[in-house]
Amino acid sequence: MDKPVSIYEPFHAGLPPMREYMRSLWARRTFISEFSRSELRNQNYGSVLGQLWLVLNPLLLSGVYFLLIYVIGGSSDAERFGHLTASLFLFYLIANSLTGGVKAITSGQRLILNTSFPRIMLPISATVIALFKFIPTLIVFGAIHVVLGLPYTWQLLWAFPVLFIALVLALGLSILISSINVYFRDIASMLPYMTRSLLYLSPVLYEASSLSERMLLFENANPIFFILDSWARVVVQGEAPTGAALIQSSIWAFSIFFIGTYFFLSRERDFAVRL
Amino acid sequence: MISLSAYSHTHSEHGLAISVQGLGLTYKTSIDKKPTLKARIKTLGRGRKHTRIVRALDDVTFDVTYGTVLGVIGSNGAGKSSLMRTITGIIPPTQGRVEVYGTVSTLLALGVGFNPSMTGRENVYLGGLAAGMSREEIDTNFDAIAEFSELGESIDAPMRTYSSGMYARLAFSVAAVVEPDILIIDEALSTGDAKFKEKSLNRIKELRSADRALILVSHALKTIEEMCNEVIWLNKGTLMMRGNPSEVIEAYRKFVDARKSASSDEDV
Repeated sequence: MDKPVSIYEPFHAGLPPMREYMRSLWARRTFISEFSRSELRNQNYGSVLGQLWLVLNPLLLSGVYFLLIYVIGGSSDAERFGHLTASLFLFYLIANSLTGGVKAITSGQRLILNTSFPRIMLPISATVIALFKFIPTLIVFGAIHVVLGLPYTWQLLWAFPVLFIALVLALGLSILISSINVYFRDIASMLPYMTRSLLYLSPVLYEASSLSERMLLFENANPIFFILDSWARVVVQGEAPTGAALIQSSIWAFSIFFIGTYFFLSRERDFAVRL
Repeated sequence: MISLSAYSHTHSEHGLAISVQGLGLTYKTSIDKKPTLKARIKTLGRGRKHTRIVRALDDVTFDVTYGTVLGVIGSNGAGKSSLMRTITGIIPPTQGRVEVYGTVSTLLALGVGFNPSMTGRENVYLGGLAAGMSREEIDTNFDAIAEFSELGESIDAPMRTYSSGMYARLAFSVAAVVEPDILIIDEALSTGDAKFKEKSLNRIKELRSADRALILVSHALKTIEEMCNEVIWLNKGTLMMRGNPSEVIEAYRKFVDARKSASSDEDV
């Protein structure tokens, strides 16, 4: 007799067989890139400037926020503008991952009800889309870096580990919020206010060093505070991030990633009957 | 949609295609269609449970061999779609085991096109990739799928502009053009116009062969009787009967009629 091609059995301890799951996920990596590309194409479909919006959006955004801090704070030096753009672009990598992730499962209903595949592909795709949107902003920031005459040092290489931690955090948040939204749809409506609050609580419109000791203590509870501060320190000031900030952001990023992934995988079985 | 392994099989007639052993499926479902915090808070103080346990399948056992065209009948809520989703791995079982001995292509109730803002072409590719096909495999089949669906240039229009008939045509084409070892079609023949329905039925007839297994889920008993060589009847998650189409359909009709007359007596 032939060996079965597929065997379906009850999950143990609420989790799918992990080796098989990972193998299946890897086999479908083309889906993630194809989905992300199609989604990006569609977001600017029909607009005159098309994909140019991927560069224009971050530029306009930083312009608007610069206007805001200029009007409110009166500060307009070059380093301030560099700090604003660098932090804002990284903040939007995380925020876009959250916004894309929140409906990743609920809007994938047709696919989930018809096809057997690792559901985690959908929130991963949301983070990949956010990354695709982030890459043009890096190029824009590269140009700003040159124009503003910001320092070039070997410390700039710290940008890679910092970005890696930010990506783990973005992915963890996307996975976590996509599964929460299956059970509590209100989270999708609350999200714009949550990301807006996160923006104001993070060192984007101001520098971390300008906060009082008391506020800094409070910021320990902000998962993105230290990663944004490290990023600005590296790419704007050309300095190495502090060890404490790196450790704290890593703890936040990996905790959210592992908790989110565990929650997602243990609930994934439910999704097809909840949608 | 399609779930194809990397290699193709040759199957002898009466070789095992699907083995369903003691299959049980229960799941919790929320009473509110859209579970929100507000709904949860509202039910908190009243001690009312906001979820209920649904026993969709209960100890279902049967085998499907190659060369079989299996019809699945039963009233609404009998567990037909749950059974198909468990066989295709969309919902893991709570008890028992399902073994599948070949490549499966499914056309379940909702069909193709998970993202309405994307074109038919993009959705076919994404659906295929999600199901584990390679881009080359989809490339090979794409022209035949587009041609069979008769969508013409609309294949490159966003799917939100499609009519329900166009959706159904594309969904059927995706499932039936790829030549799978096992084809599962759930209620898909009830949509689409008469001409396409006939074309679909003819395609299913073409696909009937000794080295393929077909499963048709339908309320159209006449079609089931005409197309299938075996039928199973499900009721409230349990397997009521399995056998040749005319016998099972006859028993099912009697069962439904008996329930109907019982309820009309109640009215009197």
